[in-house]
Formats: sequence, structure tokens, C-alpha cells
Amino acid sequence: MISRPLRQFLLTIVAVLLLAAFPYGASAQAPAAAPEAVSSIVAEQRPAIDALKKQIADFDQQKGKADTDAALAGLRLNLEATGKKLLDIGVSFRPRITEINSRLEQLGPPPAQGQPPEAQIVTDERTRLTTEKAEINAVLGDTEDQLIQVNKMIDAVGEARRELFTHTLSQRVNINYSLGSEIVEAYGQELQTMNHLVASWWRFVITFKWQSMLAAAFFAAIAALVLLIGGQRTLGHLYQRDARIEAPSYLSRLAVAFWSTLMRSLTVVVFLATTYLFLGYFNVMRPDIASLIYMLFSVIGIVYFVHALAQAVICPGAPNWRLVRVAPRPGRILMVLITATATITGLDYIADTINQIAASALSLTVAKSLFATVLVGLLIIAMALLKPLEDEETGKIKAWPRAIRIFLYTIGLVPMIAALFGYIGLARFVSQQIVINGAVLVTMYLGFLTARAVSDENALAGTKLGRAVQARFGMDDMTMDQLGLVASIVINVFVVILGIPIILLLWGFQWSEMSAWFLTIATGFQIGSFNISLVAIATGVLLFAVFYFFTRWFQGWLDTRVMARGKLDSGVRNSIRTAVGYLGLGIAGVIGISAAGINLSSLALVAGGLSLGIGFGMQAIVSNFVSGLILLAERPFKVGDWIETGGVGGIVKKISVRATEVETFQRQSLIIPNSSFINGSVGNWTHRNKLGRVDIPIGVSHKVDPRRVHAILVEIARSHPLVLKNPEPFVAFKAILDSTMDFEIRVHLADLSNSGTVQNEIRFAIIDRFAEEGIDIPHPQRDVNLHLEDADSIVDLLTKRVKAELAADAKKFKQ
Amino acid sequence: MNKIIVAIVLSAISAGSAFAASVKNGDDSAQTIVVTEGSSKTQLQVGAGETVDFCSSGCFVTFPNGDREALKGNETVEIKGGKVSIK
Repeated sequence: MISRPLRQFLLTIVAVLLLAAFPYGASAQAPAAAPEAVSSIVAEQRPAIDALKKQIADFDQQKGKADTDAALAGLRLNLEATGKKLLDIGVSFRPRITEINSRLEQLGPPPAQGQPPEAQIVTDERTRLTTEKAEINAVLGDTEDQLIQVNKMIDAVGEARRELFTHTLSQRVNINYSLGSEIVEAYGQELQTMNHLVASWWRFVITFKWQSMLAAAFFAAIAALVLLIGGQRTLGHLYQRDARIEAPSYLSRLAVAFWSTLMRSLTVVVFLATTYLFLGYFNVMRPDIASLIYMLFSVIGIVYFVHALAQAVICPGAPNWRLVRVAPRPGRILMVLITATATITGLDYIADTINQIAASALSLTVAKSLFATVLVGLLIIAMALLKPLEDEETGKIKAWPRAIRIFLYTIGLVPMIAALFGYIGLARFVSQQIVINGAVLVTMYLGFLTARAVSDENALAGTKLGRAVQARFGMDDMTMDQLGLVASIVINVFVVILGIPIILLLWGFQWSEMSAWFLTIATGFQIGSFNISLVAIATGVLLFAVFYFFTRWFQGWLDTRVMARGKLDSGVRNSIRTAVGYLGLGIAGVIGISAAGINLSSLALVAGGLSLGIGFGMQAIVSNFVSGLILLAERPFKVGDWIETGGVGGIVKKISVRATEVETFQRQSLIIPNSSFINGSVGNWTHRNKLGRVDIPIGVSHKVDPRRVHAILVEIARSHPLVLKNPEPFVAFKAILDSTMDFEIRVHLADLSNSGTVQNEIRFAIIDRFAEEGIDIPHPQRDVNLHLEDADSIVDLLTKRVKAELAADAKKFKQ
Repeated sequence: MNKIIVAIVLSAISAGSAFAASVKNGDDSAQTIVVTEGSSKTQLQVGAGETVDFCSSGCFVTFPNGDREALKGNETVEIKGGKVSIK
């Protein structure tokens, strides 16, 4: 039993909610007669929504008070989390709404006027469900409003952060003499305060906590020592620079640089972290001292890291092992300058913390920032003045390239000038950005150098890892080289993907913003009516590759496992193989294109428009393509056949869809377009079988008995081992010419590819036998008849000449 | 090896479709839904038979029949015969 007051209360709520949900139609609704409780899911989620509402109000207040960028950024994260929670609450109603909707559908609409009335129980249930739905709708509306408020606050926080940033950058401080005296005074005060703070803490430590302090230092030292010695023992060979090696490969230099930086920094970081932890554990620190020590330790750690990195890269002590071509002497100076820049930036941060702890005057902060930025600017200009680079051939030292020098001058001068003009905020911002971004950029540059080194010929194969991979997977040098190329691309992409977000983070962008951008780029942006999505495109390419390789694998499997076992004819196998290959390629293409989010119907439209152009422009190609398909289906010849077409003959090597490769007997490869096989006639010596006839003509003299010759020739033909008995060799007495009687030996061979040998052997046999039998192979005989028009004069001339010669001979004889 | 390929393909397919809710209007007339995304409410017109992507990172939606729903951004909504179904 529900108690009376509670029932009344619930009824009121229902009525209020109903009124809220249906401001106009409330009177038209059936009176909410059924005494229904608030929907269980609404009751369940109400407290959560109320709590979130309270939280949002809190955030609103915080937003008013927040005056630093960090506070605003934190607020934004909180707001985003709240928004997500609101959405989750909204989503949690869905199952119930679906349930109600489907039940309402089952119940059907209320009976119209004139229809028979329905049972009371149905009316009641419908009313109850409608009421609950209205409640849920109202709560969802509330949640929605809250979400809008949260999102508006997120926008406002973004706006506030921008304003704060602009304000910091554009604020100007008047630098004059009065500031100087102010500073001196403030400095004195701060010194006193800090002195007092630290001294009182120290006294407290000495009197009460000196054992803890010692223990903390001891444990920290032990941890660091373990790491130092253990690291050197186990990984020492990785990062000790062996001076004996003349020219270590870039990759090994890089590995040494990496490990030495990592291990050295890690030792220091572990020492500092354990000290800090133990100090905290033994309750040695007070909050103010703790924040100071935290900052101090962080700065020491970072400065040490920068120093170790610079040393590993420039390596002035062992020029063989340096990563960049910087000469040893200027390299040492450069290293000092870099460490100094990091130190000053770090000290600036520490001074900030001290200012906060001591609640110092603004003038002191200004002065400190001025000092720090000018110093950093000077250091950068000093770097620009340096001549650090070593010429690769001559070994002479030379200045930075012009562009870098100008860049260094600019970034050195900008903060200095800004600071001297009083724009301390801007100067400080710029100088900090320079130092931090410089560190990230240099690291990224090293990453790119690594990628380049990996892609060098035989670079990967020369490393231990490369050799291990090579031995494990049995790869040849060529594959290793290509693997190196892939690795270099991966490294490049990795450096960009890792480096750019870090730089953006340093510039004050938020993770959520970046992930939103990334999502937009990845999930798609509209260009016209075309949606471009990197993820979809990558998916498309990936799917295409996967299906393509699957097709190749399937093709191979079908050919070698199934069709070879099935004793299929090689021509059929080839046709099926090719057809499967092209089909798979087509399917992979379609899958890839549709996965890339390109609508195939729009592609069809383009294809339709282009088909006219294609019809004209690619007529020949299309015709060849279709011919290729016909060749595959019809198979007038197969790979290995001896064909003749268009005056050339040869062995078919490969049938593709556009053209067929034929190798002539001179080993010339002919690429013959397929359409010429379809349009012209093709002779195939080996279409169904390799059986073929060889004709050997021979002429003999008229003096011999033709029957004897015939018998001899038949005998020669029959006696050859490669000549088929059936069809029987046949010797044709072909013709009786004026000088010869022509015979022709016609023999059938099982394999026409032997025809050359067989013809040779038969001819040799004929000559040998004819010689034995004394049969002549005559030269052509000719009877020549001269028809001369003036024969008499020629005879006269000849007679005269003969007489003259005779006379001359007689004279000689007499003398 | 095969398992890896299957996993890659499945994840690729699911990754390709997990970033926006879509609404499909199966009715003969255009429908207007009210979408609350970010800090503003917008009206989204969906023509007859059209499918529209919206709501990439969670939103509230008010459908033509007055029903409200919260979407996470990976749902497929279908309006048919004035009824709304969410998958």
C-alpha cells in the first residue's frame, strides 16, 4: 500500500510532467486516471541528472574565477566529461522507449468515434505507456538543455582562453628607472622570505627528520647506482663508443646515441624521482617546499636530458660517433650553449615557482622574465655566430647555411626586442616556445635522419636485427633492401604522427581538439557533394590489397592443387587461371572503390558519359580486350603451340587479355594484339595434336628408271625411325620436267617439332643412297637457239678477223 | 595467418562505418528532424528515400512524431511510416 500523502505527491508530479510535455494537448488527453508511479528508469536516472546539473552550476562558477590557462584547460576537460555523461544518460533511455513504442504499436490507436469501445484494461495500459513516454521525453529534453549549456560553456572557455592568451601577449610593462628600484626592493624581500622559508624547513628537518632525510638520500642513491652499474653491465656494450672503429655505420651511431642518452638520463631521473618519493613518504616536505623541490628536480632532469642528448648528437669527444657533421671544437661550444639555454629556461620556471611561493611583487616577475628572455636571445644569437659545420670533403669548418643563420638571428632577436619594449609576456612566450619546440624539432630531425639511414642500401642488412630477421625468414638481400625502404617510410610517418601533435600540444592545443580534427580528417569532409575520408580511402586500399593477394593465392591454389590434379589440359588451365585472375582483380577493385566511399553509381554515370569517348579513343584497346576474352574462351591456340599468323610463326609464350606473346624460332618475342588473331586467320601446327606432314622434294635425271627411284625413296622414308607408319609415308611422282623427274617424299611425324632433324636425316640418306646406286641429280639442261637478224655481216666480220690473225701468225712464223 | 587477415578485414570494415550516425527516410515525403549537436539545435531535412549522415560525436534528436532520442553517433536510424527505428 502506498501511503496517501505519497500517492498525492506522485500524482502531482505526473500531472506536472504531463502538462510540461503536452502544453497544448493536455486537455485532449484522457484524464490520467491510473495512479501510476514515476517510470522506474526516470527515477533511476533523476539523481544522476540532478548531480550533473549541480556540477554544471559549479563549473559555471569556476569559469568565472579561472584566471590561468591551465585552470581553463582543466575546466574544459571536466566539461567534456560531463557532456559525455549527459549523452550516456540520454542513451540509457533508449531500450525503454523502444519497449514502450512497440507495446503501443501492439495496442493500436484508440477507437475512433462510432467504433465499439475497447476494454478498459487496454485503455489503461495505453494511458500508462503514453504517460511514461511523455515523462521520458521531458527528462530527455531536460538533459538536452543541459548538454547545450555544457557545450556553450565549452565554447565560452575556449573564448576565454584565447582572450587570456591575447591579453598575456599584448600586455605591456613600462620599463624605467623606478622599476629598477622597485625590483631591488622586491628582490630583497623575496630573498628574505625564501631564506626564512627554507631555513625554517631546514631547521625542522635537522631537528626532527634528519634520519628520514638521510634514508631518502641513501635509498635514492642506491636505486640510481643499481641502474647505473646494472645498466652498464647489461647494456653497456650497446652504448659504449668504441674508438677503434673507424667509421661506424649511421645506424650503430644512432643506436649508441639513443641508448647512452636514455640510460644516462634514466639514471638521473630515477635518482631524483626516488628522492622525491622517499621525501614525500617520510613526510619531510611541506607543500610549499614540495612544489619547489618538484620544480627543481624536473628542471634538473630536463636540463640533464637536453645535455645528454646534445652530447650524444654532437659527440665532440669522439668525432667518429657524431650524428651530425659538427666539428669537435665548435661542437663543444655549441653543446655548452644548448645546455645553457635549457638551464636558463629551467631557472626561469624555478623562479616562477619561487615567486608564487613567496607571493612576490609583479615587478620582480617582470624583471626575471626580462632577464631570462634576453639571456636566451643572446645565447641563440651566439649559436648563430658559431661556425660549427664541417665540410664533408675538405674538413674545413664553415658557418651555418644562410637560411638557418637568419632564422637563428630572428628567433634570438624577437624575444629580446619584445622584452626590451616591455612586452614581457610575449617575449617569455616566444623564448619558451623556441627552446621547447627546438628540442622537439631536433628530435624529429634525428628521426628523419634515421629513416634516411635505414633506407640506405644494405643499411638494414648490416644491423644485428636485420641479420636476425634475414636468418629467421630466409630473405635475400634484395628483399632486405626493400624491407629497409618500407621501414624508412614507416619511421617517417611515425615521426610526423608523433611529432606534430606534440608541437601542437606545446602550442596550447588540446588533445580533444586534435582528436576532433583527426576524426574529421579521418572520417571525412565534404568537397562539393563528394565525401572524402582518409579512413575510408585507407580501408579501400587495404581491402583492395587483401582481396588482390587472396586472388593471387586462390589462383595459385586452383592451378597447382586442383587443376593440375584434375589432369586438365594446359590450355584450359591457363584460360581459367587468367580469367580467375582478372575476375579477382575486378572484384577487388570494386570492393576497394566502394569501401573508399566512392559511390559506384556515380562512377557508372561517369563511365556512361565517357563511353562515347572511350568508344572512339580506346577502340583498339577495347577490341583487343574483347578479343582476348574470346581467345580465352574459344582457345584456338594455347601456350606452347606453334602458330603462324600474318607471315610470322613461332611458339605461343603467354596469352594476356590485350596481346599475345609469340616467340619466333630466332628467339624474337612478338607481341601480337589479340584482335589480329580474331580478325585474321591463324595457322596452328599443334592445335589438337602435334602430328604433321613434312614434304621433301627431289628431282632425278631422266636416265634413271623412275620406278627404281620411287622404291628407293619409299624405303628411305620407311626406314626413318621418327616417321609414322600410319599414315604411311608416300612418295609422289610429281612431275616430268625437261631436265628432271620430280619426286616428293611425304612423311607424317608424331611431333612436328622434330621436322628439321627428320628432313635433314632423310636428305642425307637420299644423297648417300643415290651415290651408292649411281643415280644422278642433274643440273638443269638448256638448248639455246640464237635468232640473229643480220647474221651474214657478223659472219663476215668474224671471217675477216680470223684471216687477219692467220696472216699475222704466218708473218711471225717467217721471221 | 588467416586469422590475422580476417581480423584486419573485420576491423577495417567496422572502422569504416563507426564514425557517424545515419538517418534514412523510407517515407514518400521529406521529414525534418531536430538535431542538437554541440551548442546549437539544427533542423535536418531528409528528402524522401534519402540517407543522410549526421551526428559524428553524439547528439540529441527530436523526430517528426515528437519522440526524443539520444544517439552515440554510430546508429542507423530509419523513418518508415512515421515510425522511427534505431539500430
